[in-house]
Amino acid sequence: MSAVASVKDPAREDPTSHPVQISCQHLWKFFGHNGHSLLGTPEANLPQAELQERTGCIAAIRDVSFEVHRGEVFVVMGLSGSGKSTLIRSLTRLIEVDSGNIELCGEDVRHLDPAGLRDLRRHRVSMVFQQFGLFPHRRVVDNVAYGLEVQGVKRAERYQRVEELLKVVGLSGFSRSYPDELSGGMQQRVGLARALAVDPDVLLFDEAFSALDPLIRREMQDEVIRLQERLHKTVVFVSHDLDEALKLGDRIAIMREGSFVQVGTPEEVVGAPVDDYVAAFTRDVPRAKVLTARWAMRPFGTRSDRSSGFGDRVVAASTRLQDVLNMVLQSDEPVGVVDDEGEIIGELDRTTATAVIAGSPLEGDAPGPRAQAGKTHGEGTRP
Amino acid sequence: MTVAIGNETTLEEAEQLGVDRPASPRGTGGPSVRQTLAKPWVGLVVLAAGAVVSAILTGVKGGFPAGWVPGSISAFSSLGTWITAHQSSAPFFTDVLAPIGTGLNAMVSGVSTFLGWLTWPGLILLGAFSGLAAGRWKTAIFLVVAIAAFGLLGLWADSMSTLSLMTVAVGISVVIGVPLGIVAAFSRHFEQLLRPVLDLMQMLPAYAYLVPIVILFSIGNPGGVVATVIYATPPIIRLTLLGIRTVPDDVIEAGKSFGSNRWQLLRKVQLPMALRMILLGVNQVIMMALSVVVIASLIGTGGLGDPVLQALNIVNVGDAFTAGTVIVLMAMVLDRVVSAFGERADPAHRTSKGMPVRRRRELIAAGFALVVVTALVAKLGFSATNFPTAWSFSVAGPLNTGLGWLQHHLYHYASVPIVGGTSNLSAFVTLEILNPLTRIAGDMPWWLAVFGTAALGYIIGGWRRALLVGICVTGIGLLGVWNDSAATLAQVLVALVMCIIVGLPLGVAAYWWDPVEKALRPVLDVLQTMPAFVYLIPVVLFFSVGNMAGVTASFVYALAPAVRLTNLGLRRVPRDMVEAGTSFGSTRLQLLRKVELPAARPAIVLAINQTILLVLAEVIVAGLVGAGGLGYDVVVGLERDEFGLGLAAGLAIVVLGVVLDRLTQGREQRRPARAA
Repeated sequence: MSAVASVKDPAREDPTSHPVQISCQHLWKFFGHNGHSLLGTPEANLPQAELQERTGCIAAIRDVSFEVHRGEVFVVMGLSGSGKSTLIRSLTRLIEVDSGNIELCGEDVRHLDPAGLRDLRRHRVSMVFQQFGLFPHRRVVDNVAYGLEVQGVKRAERYQRVEELLKVVGLSGFSRSYPDELSGGMQQRVGLARALAVDPDVLLFDEAFSALDPLIRREMQDEVIRLQERLHKTVVFVSHDLDEALKLGDRIAIMREGSFVQVGTPEEVVGAPVDDYVAAFTRDVPRAKVLTARWAMRPFGTRSDRSSGFGDRVVAASTRLQDVLNMVLQSDEPVGVVDDEGEIIGELDRTTATAVIAGSPLEGDAPGPRAQAGKTHGEGTRP
Repeated sequence: MTVAIGNETTLEEAEQLGVDRPASPRGTGGPSVRQTLAKPWVGLVVLAAGAVVSAILTGVKGGFPAGWVPGSISAFSSLGTWITAHQSSAPFFTDVLAPIGTGLNAMVSGVSTFLGWLTWPGLILLGAFSGLAAGRWKTAIFLVVAIAAFGLLGLWADSMSTLSLMTVAVGISVVIGVPLGIVAAFSRHFEQLLRPVLDLMQMLPAYAYLVPIVILFSIGNPGGVVATVIYATPPIIRLTLLGIRTVPDDVIEAGKSFGSNRWQLLRKVQLPMALRMILLGVNQVIMMALSVVVIASLIGTGGLGDPVLQALNIVNVGDAFTAGTVIVLMAMVLDRVVSAFGERADPAHRTSKGMPVRRRRELIAAGFALVVVTALVAKLGFSATNFPTAWSFSVAGPLNTGLGWLQHHLYHYASVPIVGGTSNLSAFVTLEILNPLTRIAGDMPWWLAVFGTAALGYIIGGWRRALLVGICVTGIGLLGVWNDSAATLAQVLVALVMCIIVGLPLGVAAYWWDPVEKALRPVLDVLQTMPAFVYLIPVVLFFSVGNMAGVTASFVYALAPAVRLTNLGLRRVPRDMVEAGTSFGSTRLQLLRKVELPAARPAIVLAINQTILLVLAEVIVAGLVGAGGLGYDVVVGLERDEFGLGLAAGLAIVVLGVVLDRLTQGREQRRPARAA
């Protein structure tokens, strides 16, 4: 977990201004005998180990609420057993939660009848699985076509669509192979193509790249980024890999023992961890590659006369610290930080920059989340 | 960092908790031995007290009190007579059983007619083509040779009638078994209901239900089909269930996540992925069906069983051997065809390379067209239905001569140095071991037998098992076949001890030395493929008819699973466990005694359980060659119309089987689908 290859480009259009496409409110899920009877009892909030010892049950999801906007990539990130896989499955009721509301593409998922649920799964949402979940008895073409097949699409039509998709994921020419004739990376490309085949509004990735070699994993992540730039799907991506989360996520939810500990942009999670747990998680991240000038700068409260005088020593707010470091370190004088309109909105000096990168506490009018006013979306964050 | 609940697996398991607590590796069926042994004396004292009270009440005389036997045999006889008398009047017979019988008859003769139309050249070509369609040259060649051998050995007509019966019985087994397996895969309740029934069906020797079948269907093909279906259906139910249940969760989940409905999921995902298992089930059905074929000849189905039975009756080993060979060949033919297709269904053997589908289809169509043309030409041009008798030759004569020589040098007294001839050995085992054992078992006071076995059952499986076993043993007495059961039991025990003495060390040897395993594998394969009665043929030669022949045949018949399961159990001991043992400097023997055997115990208990059930089955079949006991009672019952005796013996076989099974099934409750 050393090098972050790349981070979600902060200059990208902000999808949080789009309408909400997935909305979950107060989800709870217990595993174990009579688990649902724990709802609303004081035991429900016990630490996992104690809960299990007392009741034999496990709280896989505890009071989780979040919203995902159209075109947003929302990463749920946590260790094994934190409940993230359960959470992503509960969105399409592959696992039924015990209580809470799930709204997906305007449908009240929990109250859909079987036909409605099938309809949702067939047309609106599809999923990519950790172990690929490919059908070993079907050729690649019939794997990718599966979703269309159960919809009742005619064979010629679905094969034509499959060929297009295989081209998109770089698997042209493999349509007649069986999955076990392909490498792991290629198999997951099939999984990806299968998910895209039905042209869903929402894509769910369950640790989709965890089973792959690091190199292939990075390739697949780039593939997802490339596709997302074209397709703008709403994505929920479950991962235990922080690099992956930072690279793909517009926002990241850190999950622990069934609860969301923190929800925020990659910058917020790395730069302003809400507690020691998140801090420990993000400790090894090279902060200069994640945090931006906007994050580290000392903002100007109002437009003042100080908004000039930097000469050409100005940087764009969305520039990452690693790219502004040279300029900042050249001189004792601060550099100016400009927003998209070219307005100077703050300044960044040598001391602040190094302190932010080192992750040491800052005093006084410190930079950080406060500078991000209007950009935080902390719903569901546990105090 | 605290990871409170461990990993994903915990979650997955936790998920199952509500439905079905996963069994621990040591098994949770019934109270564990440790729990039971916590206060073993309570139960044992109660049982001992029961024995003493019974002894005081009924005296300490040996055997089962004759006065208690409620005339079961004569009651059964009159039941048989009543049924026979009402066969043409009672609605159950005329409206239910008779149509079933007629239907089965029509199916068998239909297949038979079809085979007649196919003619012998057509059938041989069909065999060749099945091999080729499965993509295997060697199989094709084997099939041609084997099918031709039916005719060359002079048994074409008998082979065809057996093949017809088999086809119908196997077809019915599959048609009944696959849906039942599917339902059981989806409904745990249904599975729980079905499981004991399957256990019983698989445990019973076909002999046990021949007599009732004859009473209900009278003699002929319908009864044969019914007996075969009862005997052969369980494995396909089990394997269908297993095939569907073992489809990986993530694949099912993927299927569901794309909005498949239940039927789509079954048809497009679960069944195709279970196909290999299902075909394995078909294979087992065929093997088991063939092993009943000869027995079915006892109830008048004709076919290959007839020459075997006749030859065994007059100890014409050559003839019996010929017929036995054809049956084994038929088993191999059907086995090869099904398993070749099974392999094609195996995802691991699939490949996008090779022949394109359309071309393959064209070739197959062309091949079958060729078969049809050949059949028509042969039928219309040469009126060739049966294999020309002029081409066939008998191997019985030379075989008998050779075997006679062998027999002459091995059988008679003192023909072999020190041990004497096999007749000597036979006499010794019969007089010094089997007869005394039979006497001991037969003369044992009933209360000692009942409470003794109950105590054993209590130690092994607690009160419920004690009760079951006690009731079963009492039942044997009440059926009025106490002494015959004792004779059967004695033979079973002797054969079992032989199997353990030979089989377990062989299993260990196969585990230690790979060359041994390699050398044993084909032998065990053959032993497991051959139908039960085939073993009777050679043993009769050396031990004449009688108990010793039965014991020897049973020993050979049941040896394979004993060796296989021991070897398999040892090989499945986790490597790191063995490595840990080795790293502490254990010798090979120490390793075996302290690590491997204890770890492989469940497999070895299972091996003994399977062995004892197979031994029982064969000891019963050996009634055909004059081995006394329950099997002989059934044969007598069938041959001399003594339905009462046959029925009582059949029931006693069931009960004895249950007792032996329960007493050898430790805590390990699971039973794999027939042998390893």
